[in-house]
Amino acid sequence: MSMDADDDRQYHIQVRPGEVGKYVFLPGDPGRCEPIAQFFDEPRLVAKNREYETWTGYLDGEMVSVTSTGIGCPSAAIAMEELVKVGSDTFVRVGTSGSMQSFIKPGDLGVIHGAIRDEGTTSHYLPLEFPAVANIDVTRALAKGAKSIGKTVHVGISQSKDSFFGQHEPGRMPVASRLQERWSAWMAGGAICSEMEAAGLYIVASTLGVRAGGIMMILGHPDQSPMTEEEWADGAVANVLPAAIAGMRELIRQDKEG
Amino acid sequence: MAEKVEHLQIQEGDVGRYVLLPGDPGRCEPIAQLFENPRHVATNREYVTYTGELDGTSVSVVSTGIGCPSTAIAVEELLKMGADTFIRVGTSGSIQLDTPSGQLAIVTAAIRDEGTSSHYLPMEFPAIANPQIVDALVEAGRRTGANTRCGVTQSKDSFYGEVEPDRMPLASRLLDRWEVWRQGGAICSEMEAAALFIISSIHRARAGGIMHMMGQGPDTDPDRKLLLSTAVESLRVLIRQDSEGHQWP
Repeated sequence: MSMDADDDRQYHIQVRPGEVGKYVFLPGDPGRCEPIAQFFDEPRLVAKNREYETWTGYLDGEMVSVTSTGIGCPSAAIAMEELVKVGSDTFVRVGTSGSMQSFIKPGDLGVIHGAIRDEGTTSHYLPLEFPAVANIDVTRALAKGAKSIGKTVHVGISQSKDSFFGQHEPGRMPVASRLQERWSAWMAGGAICSEMEAAGLYIVASTLGVRAGGIMMILGHPDQSPMTEEEWADGAVANVLPAAIAGMRELIRQDKEG
Repeated sequence: MAEKVEHLQIQEGDVGRYVLLPGDPGRCEPIAQLFENPRHVATNREYVTYTGELDGTSVSVVSTGIGCPSTAIAVEELLKMGADTFIRVGTSGSIQLDTPSGQLAIVTAAIRDEGTSSHYLPMEFPAIANPQIVDALVEAGRRTGANTRCGVTQSKDSFYGEVEPDRMPLASRLLDRWEVWRQGGAICSEMEAAALFIISSIHRARAGGIMHMMGQGPDTDPDRKLLLSTAVESLRVLIRQDSEGHQWP
């Protein structure tokens, strides 16, 4: 869909066919697009509109792009839908998340192979019974990429929530007891981290027949206790980017080898 | 004397950490024949248990009966007896229209179209297979030459709601949802994986599944020989990885 019939740019991301690669990184924050694009060969800014910023370049000779999704599944679903329309088919979410297990420390990385659908967008696509699951090839490549740069990596399930402050300050919400009870249930189920986009990306990818996965920097503590200065340094988002790039290179290699 | 668990009627030491889980009790003996030194351990209700060895490591096969309610009981009691690695093995329907009969589905996650797993975790939580087991099954399929396909299964509570939806009072809902699962990319339909995966998540156990799909064309492997040999081969892959301290991937 386009605003103007003579213009083949996508409505929100303002990108045309040919301007993005098959492989796309999806950070939430537009400010992270340029730092990711700096890892590409010949990076160039393609488009910028609302929270959507797109850069394209090359990794190992393969055209790759980065497009920010903004915060939350509503805007992430739009980004993926429009990227698929212009030819992308493999997506790596990269960003930050909150720890949900006491043994998972700030600075560790999480590879998300499934997501809790604690959000409103995906029910517009598939009933809640359907699992939000990452593509196994993407998951494997990201886990290998994270290991190759020497980071501690956990493969597991994320909570994809719609309310940031419902997680961080549940006590002040009218539905406090429900939020706290469900947080405990997700932890008991083994969830490793909490973020806001994976479920949307995985469900939309399932319905479109494309591949998606995610790699997250893990911050914070499950009891919301404050982080030390050293933990903040370990958890700098810059520390997840080399792992995401290594994972994408691994995926491109796997695809070439069939 | 150690106490036996209520339904499986087995006690500590009776089963290995690696367990194959067919639905049908009648499939336990043919699977056990693929183990070294197989012995029958117990039979009670729909639960039949055999234990043997693969490459010197203790492995078992336990039938779950049909459906998530009886599967949940089997998995809970096996966890209590020290098992921590589960592979569901059986027959399933196919959801994608291009599926040839006999293609093996390697299950990556399950649609929770059943009543048991909500007694454990809210519906938002994904019923997901362990990726190391998914990869072990892929590797096993490569070794046995099986035609495999990775994807999502529908775990349902009503067999006849799937195969004869038209005669159900909720026909339109059943038909509509089947089409929804197809468009979501689900590949097969069976009745136990969702509960196995959810309970395994809670216990940090590893679980996966491999299914012989019924689809287009004649059923070329009525004895499920390729299914069973591929499932057993995947245990060999895992046993080797575990003995070498291999961390997936």
